[in-house]
Amino acid sequence: MNSSNNGISRRTFLGNTAALSVAGMLGGMPLMASGKEQVKLSFMYPVGVSGDINRIVSGMIGAFNAAHPDILVEAIYAGSYDNTEQKVMTSLGVGDPPGTWLPINSALQTFLSMDALEDVTALAKADDVYQDFLPGFLGTCISDDKLYGLPFQCSTPVLYFNKAALAKAGIKSAPNTWDELFATAKALTLRQGQDVTQWGLTIGGGWHDWMFESYVRQNGLVPWTKDKVMFDAAESVDALEFWLRMAQAGVMPTASTWQGSANDFMAGRTAMLYHSTGSMTNLRKSSPFEVGVAPMPKNKTFGASMGGGPILIAKNQPDAHKRACWTFARWMTNTANQSMWCKETGYLAARKSSWESAEMKRFVAEVPEARIALDQAAFAGAFLQVPGYHKVREYLKSAIDRTLIGEIRPDAALREATASSNREIQRMLRRRG
Amino acid sequence: MRHMLCKYWQHFVLLPVALLWLSPVLWIGVTSLKTKSEVFDSAAGWLPDIAQWSNYPAALSVAPFGRYLINSVLVTGSIIAAQLVTITLAAYAFARLRFPGKNLLFGLFLVQIMFPIYAIFLTNFVTIRELGLMNSLWALIVPFVASGYGTFMLHQAFRQVPSELADAARLDGCGHLSTLWHVYLPLVKPTLVAFAIISVVTHWNDYMWPLLVTNSEEVRTLPIGLGLLAKADSGADWTRLMAATIVVVSPLLLFFVIFQRRFVDSFMHAGIK
Repeated sequence: MNSSNNGISRRTFLGNTAALSVAGMLGGMPLMASGKEQVKLSFMYPVGVSGDINRIVSGMIGAFNAAHPDILVEAIYAGSYDNTEQKVMTSLGVGDPPGTWLPINSALQTFLSMDALEDVTALAKADDVYQDFLPGFLGTCISDDKLYGLPFQCSTPVLYFNKAALAKAGIKSAPNTWDELFATAKALTLRQGQDVTQWGLTIGGGWHDWMFESYVRQNGLVPWTKDKVMFDAAESVDALEFWLRMAQAGVMPTASTWQGSANDFMAGRTAMLYHSTGSMTNLRKSSPFEVGVAPMPKNKTFGASMGGGPILIAKNQPDAHKRACWTFARWMTNTANQSMWCKETGYLAARKSSWESAEMKRFVAEVPEARIALDQAAFAGAFLQVPGYHKVREYLKSAIDRTLIGEIRPDAALREATASSNREIQRMLRRRG
Repeated sequence: MRHMLCKYWQHFVLLPVALLWLSPVLWIGVTSLKTKSEVFDSAAGWLPDIAQWSNYPAALSVAPFGRYLINSVLVTGSIIAAQLVTITLAAYAFARLRFPGKNLLFGLFLVQIMFPIYAIFLTNFVTIRELGLMNSLWALIVPFVASGYGTFMLHQAFRQVPSELADAARLDGCGHLSTLWHVYLPLVKPTLVAFAIISVVTHWNDYMWPLLVTNSEEVRTLPIGLGLLAKADSGADWTRLMAATIVVVSPLLLFFVIFQRRFVDSFMHAGIK
């Protein structure tokens, strides 16, 4: 408990210093003129990684409010990503949206199709946003060259491995290519008779479509544009065939769940695991063995799809509120706050200057694994930003599941998923028009 | 020995069943005292090496659980109190009064049971907003003060009460309300208790509706605090989640333990009179 108390005071301190510097920077703007009426805005956010995030966010917002007497942000915890989206949609439906919110980045087109988002390109260009944010991360908020928010909590999948299990099997380093991944998984799979006691590899289920997109990206293709998906392209089919070969060779279970796969890894029932960088702190702290982290192995190239979400700003609100929302989003993603957020939560800092700060350099020296995800981020891009992404994800997941249990051929499954997905996307687009 | 077996054979059958029922609760309790790495380490055994009582304050620190507890009690208590009044009056009217459109109205009540709560979230949301009740405890209570299901249950129970009893009461000078109070309610107590249990558990555990209509911590309820610990991104934080679960379910468990005899009694007497 003691250390977390220190954490809070350190955070508050950080927040305040950061707030002061931002206030200093913006001091000349008319927005900050005193004597004006206080702007009240709400910020709806999910808690994806740990309950402590709620405290961290509340602490940040407290510091923001203290530093900005003319703005009052109300922090509203809204459940999971899906819950948050429902809550925001409901408020949008009755014409009373929150000023800002934090959805998963895949939802960008969904909110755009509701005409709910404020274009912040001009504000960002007047600022250092385009120079300082990592392009792959900023890209998650961009559609048609227009910027609709600032990346706040960023993650990618990474490869976790059980160092003890690798050492036992005489393997020196984590796999770097698909072929090495397959061979390593084979060497790590342990059986007792018919029963597998340790899988070589598990791909975190529930989000395996997210992992799958990373595999397709490693084949050199982004399998979607803003109005269609290409799950039936040769690159996608090849990726699924690779998964099928691993499943048929018995080195990887045909299905898993998100929490179950993390639990299996911690319990030593799988030696390697594809999971989110967001799980790093939990996996490292809860595993009774040493945990290694590696970038996802490459095929034609390295590649990763981004998870996590940006702070978006509502269109349907007065200009003064929009400016206040921008001040808020900008503050939450400033250099000091992104460094702190990264250290405290395991999400990746979105700013180059955060990674270059002395504080983060110390952190990376302590936890070199954090750096892995950053290196991989150079190859990362947005995840499945199509309208109606909920259903599209389900179509894709179902195609993968049915293929892996041997019900259908990879190419047929993906053709079917592509057709259903594109029909759904068209339906959503018609609704927009 | 044989005598023992004859006398206590029910215990031998029921004991394993009771243990089976208790096992999740025990598992929750034991897990709430473990360290994070003990939860998945099969070598660590069933019990924690050293009981980690600090999991409890650590779990409770993520949200103001005390405030949430008071809110949960207020909300669930108000809902059940209001429901018992409304369903009793409605069920009596449907079971014993004659008025035009009765069957149609009762049919509509039944239709309400068939709608899943999620289907009417948006309309309820709009109503609550227009009433100006957003982000208040009222928003959590008002949509549930009537219950089609409870009305239906009680309606069936009232119809099984012999009408001779009501007639006798009328001869003794009872009006509708006193007949209801002195004749019907004592006879349908088991139904009321059964409905109360279902309703209390449902509303105590409700998550999505409170999440939707409340924004500030002052008006939120226990399941929302629990949701903070059961998250999707990184695998649940088992030890703290289980500690918080113990805290959230214990008021209900305590309530049942205290009133157990009364609950069982009212079930035992069903149909005897």
